[in-house]
Amino acid sequence: MSLEVAIEKQVQGFRLSVEFKADGAPLGLLGSSGSGKTMTLRAIAGLETPDRGRIVLHGRVLFDSEARINVPARARRIGLLFQNFALFPHLSVAENIAFGLRRLAPQERERRVSQQMTAAHLEGMEDRYPATLSGGEQQRVALARALATEPAALLLDEPFSALDTHLRGALERHLRETLARYAGSTVFVSHNLEEAYRVCEDLVVLARGTAAAQGPKEEIFRHPPTLEVARLTGCKNFSRARRAPDGLIEALDWGCRLRVSQPFARPPEYIAIRAHHVRVLPVGEFKAERRENIFPCRLVAMTETPFRVTLDLRIIGNMGGPAESEPASGAEFQIQAEVFKQQWDSFRDVPQPWLVELSPERVFLLPD
Amino acid sequence: MNWQAIALSLKLAVCVAGILLAAGMPIAYWVTFSRWRWKFVVEAVVALPIVLPPTVLGYYLLVGLGPRNFPGRVLQSLFGHTLPFTFGGLLVASVLYSLPFAVQPFSAGLETVDRRLIEAAWTLGASRLATFFRVILPLSAAGAVTGVVLSFAHTIGEFGVVLMVGGNIPGVTRTISIDIYDQAQSGNYAAANHTALLLLLFSFLVLSIIYGTNRRAVSLWRKP
Repeated sequence: MSLEVAIEKQVQGFRLSVEFKADGAPLGLLGSSGSGKTMTLRAIAGLETPDRGRIVLHGRVLFDSEARINVPARARRIGLLFQNFALFPHLSVAENIAFGLRRLAPQERERRVSQQMTAAHLEGMEDRYPATLSGGEQQRVALARALATEPAALLLDEPFSALDTHLRGALERHLRETLARYAGSTVFVSHNLEEAYRVCEDLVVLARGTAAAQGPKEEIFRHPPTLEVARLTGCKNFSRARRAPDGLIEALDWGCRLRVSQPFARPPEYIAIRAHHVRVLPVGEFKAERRENIFPCRLVAMTETPFRVTLDLRIIGNMGGPAESEPASGAEFQIQAEVFKQQWDSFRDVPQPWLVELSPERVFLLPD
Repeated sequence: MNWQAIALSLKLAVCVAGILLAAGMPIAYWVTFSRWRWKFVVEAVVALPIVLPPTVLGYYLLVGLGPRNFPGRVLQSLFGHTLPFTFGGLLVASVLYSLPFAVQPFSAGLETVDRRLIEAAWTLGASRLATFFRVILPLSAAGAVTGVVLSFAHTIGEFGVVLMVGGNIPGVTRTISIDIYDQAQSGNYAAANHTALLLLLFSFLVLSIIYGTNRRAVSLWRKP
């Protein structure tokens, strides 16, 4: 059970060139808008024709530019969940789900429809029309409609983007459960990294038409291969970096020297750390035996969200001495830390400077 | 009232509307969904009868369908007689003359169908023809109805083309509008007035139906 894709296509403004393989586990296509992810999905579904390449689904060649094979969308047996769900407004819920089942005997058709209705928790809504459904119900109908045809692959194009935030949690759970039962290959397109992380096992990070990273999700999040991937996966703190004596790395923009546990062969261009990995602690908690990667800092700005606080910190020196290098001045070279409200309340009234810890296990190095 | 002329006009209009529904819809489909860069040429040709004086179209049809030209001779060998001054000739002329009045509303209706719905139908295994009948046509029904009604009404009301191609043969090519012309020419104003009033009321009714149903059709799928 696998979907192999290797395609190229000239799109407005960039050249799409991707190659990946999706097995049983859902594969996430992660990228900002205009990175080519929707185009990739449409090419797999047969709604766009690549300039070159090959698409093979479970050993069946769907597209091969050299062999001049281009199976039309209707014969590909690929289910596509559209961003806006694309339910037929003139058909009832049951008729929508039965749309792709014309060739089946009426009894079998009814069986499949009721099976999907149950699985999607849509009982009793058979005769409703899409316009009377909530966004979440529409999404479940669209998913049921695609699955009813028992497609060999399922493609999901930003399935949550058209929904209110409060609906997403439950629907995402429903989707994950559905995908766990589904035997075919799944490709999930999203610009939301957390969503892609939760739904998928493997990720392909797209940037301007090419895969900037691909592999197991933990690997990509822990060690992004490039600055761009680090940014796309939500990392907020970057500093130019160079090697320093004693096996340390000097973070030029932050103005500090850091121990890094990640082995790194090439000379690093950047050093980075995720905002939620930055620890902030009052000076009183400082222990002399742990002094590496801990620096005094001052709060420059803060942003509050309902459960977290984002702190903009500036490193002002070294433990027991001045900073080795003067930070390049200017607000852009602060370190962003994300802490929970409770934690914030525990040290917000403690006089500054505070301490910021950039743990050696959490900082990572990047080539340019 | 000349019931023979009224019956003839109705027969002609029903035939024209039927033919245009069958022949105009594929043209409209092509015009709407084709990405061919010279598409506008076809669109312009289809729209010609809107701006062309009926006499010009009628003249070319008369000459073209006549025994001296190729299309006329082909048709002659097919039917055994030339088409001008027959009901068949009238039908051909009326279909061409009303073509834009069918194709443009059809096409406007098709335009309103969300492309993603069409693509969704394809990914669910529906052929292009099945997609047309199960998705596109139901969703553009207002345009289809408008096109049929407009071409029907336009045929009832046409005069110039009919006169050029069909002449004025009672029971064969004398339609309602030619009958009015005849009556007025012979000073029979009372009869002309009756028929004219009938046409006026008919036209008003048709347009009322179109505007009334269009508004309903738009909201048909939006609300339960």
